[in-house]
Amino acid sequence: MITLECASLNGFLDCASLAISGGRACVVLTETEFEKNLLLRIFTGLTRLDSGKIFIFGKEVSSFSDSELNAARKRIGIVFNNGGLISNLKVWENIMLPLSYHSSLSHHDMDEKMISILGKIGYDDDLTILPGPLPVFKKRLAGFARAMLMEPDLIIYDSVFDGMSSDIRSKVLETITAFQHEKEGRASLFLDMDEGLLDYIRADSIYTLKNGKFYERN
Amino acid sequence: MKTKRITESILDTILYLSGLFNLILDAFKNLPSLRMNPVRTVFSRQIYFAGIETLGKMVIIGLLVGIVIISQIASLIGVGRGDLIGKILVWVVIRELGPLFAAIVVIARSVTAISAELGSMNVQGEIVSIEMMGIDPERYLIMPRIIALTLSAVMLTFYFELAAILGGITVTSLFWGIPFEQHTTGILSSLTIPELSASLVKSLLFGLVIAAVSCSQGLKVSGSITKIPQATTKATMQSLFFVFIFDGIITLIFFL
Repeated sequence: MITLECASLNGFLDCASLAISGGRACVVLTETEFEKNLLLRIFTGLTRLDSGKIFIFGKEVSSFSDSELNAARKRIGIVFNNGGLISNLKVWENIMLPLSYHSSLSHHDMDEKMISILGKIGYDDDLTILPGPLPVFKKRLAGFARAMLMEPDLIIYDSVFDGMSSDIRSKVLETITAFQHEKEGRASLFLDMDEGLLDYIRADSIYTLKNGKFYERN
Repeated sequence: MKTKRITESILDTILYLSGLFNLILDAFKNLPSLRMNPVRTVFSRQIYFAGIETLGKMVIIGLLVGIVIISQIASLIGVGRGDLIGKILVWVVIRELGPLFAAIVVIARSVTAISAELGSMNVQGEIVSIEMMGIDPERYLIMPRIIALTLSAVMLTFYFELAAILGGITVTSLFWGIPFEQHTTGILSSLTIPELSASLVKSLLFGLVIAAVSCSQGLKVSGSITKIPQATTKATMQSLFFVFIFDGIITLIFFL
């Protein structure tokens, strides 16, 4: 899904290599939030490497046209730590945004899809309000619903378990696991800074980013 | 040293202007995206905010400006010259004040709103999250704002001019007893293609430049929310400056 080959970037990455394969759950631990955000930008082709290669869904990023890159991003769902919601759109508009932008489904079909996903993740708050006053957890849930609606091949979770009680975390993990297995070959990537994550996530591969290189743990 | 600084400043200005030009060009290239539902929603909201919500106040300002101008003209040249009063009214309102007042109202209302909104979206990482969803911000955020603001400027200019002329005529007919027909003759004979096209070209250009400046300043905000007020002030001042420059240039081109 995403492969880095001897990727270097201005002291942040130093000939680093990494492979996130389809159908697997992968954890990447960074030391700082800055590193984590930069990785997210690299994985979505927003920040280009100084040298080395990055392949997204088998194709080298530098060979993508703008529309091809957007099509690849469409296949990557991201659940941001702060929800990543657009502040001037209502919650339901936020959830529907990528689907209504990219797909040609009717309003009715999109609504049905959204309602079914909101039911699955247990989002029960008012959808007609702006996201500002919502607690972070609800914002993340709305962001999760937004990513799920696109039925991505790869879903990236950006420190989504921060500040969650163990009960809520278990429920969210159940939903994440079920969602990964809903589609064959779908991969989950957990980007985090907290090693404690490894206590409750069963990952197929774990990488740590240190001194510009990825180290795989056994 | 001084020459170097001047050269750098000229180069910066050229780069900035070409950036504005590209923003406008890309907006036209991205016009087909208006078929997409979310893009159309942003466009409709901008039209509502910049155009429709402002319409009432614009008409009132137009009426008052028309009354003021016609009162001054009537007291200057006397009430017996209804046709000349009509002509001067058209020249002043259609050629100059209509596009200028509409632009000033759009600047007061929308420039600050757009630059602050885009600036805050940028600072909060919302534009990045839009890009990460595979949505092109130029299509989704910039194009609808540029096109909507431009159409709003044209629409507001038209209503301002209509209100100013009707208001002016009504007042002189009611209070000075100048026959309505005298005005209509003067107005109709002065409403030529150059007058109307100058007004249209001005309002179109003003709208485009105002929208491009506000989007560009909003997108430049990064790092801290304290930079948002600076961006809105810059956008407002630059928009006013560009509007007056273009006003002078277009007037020279059309009427020299």
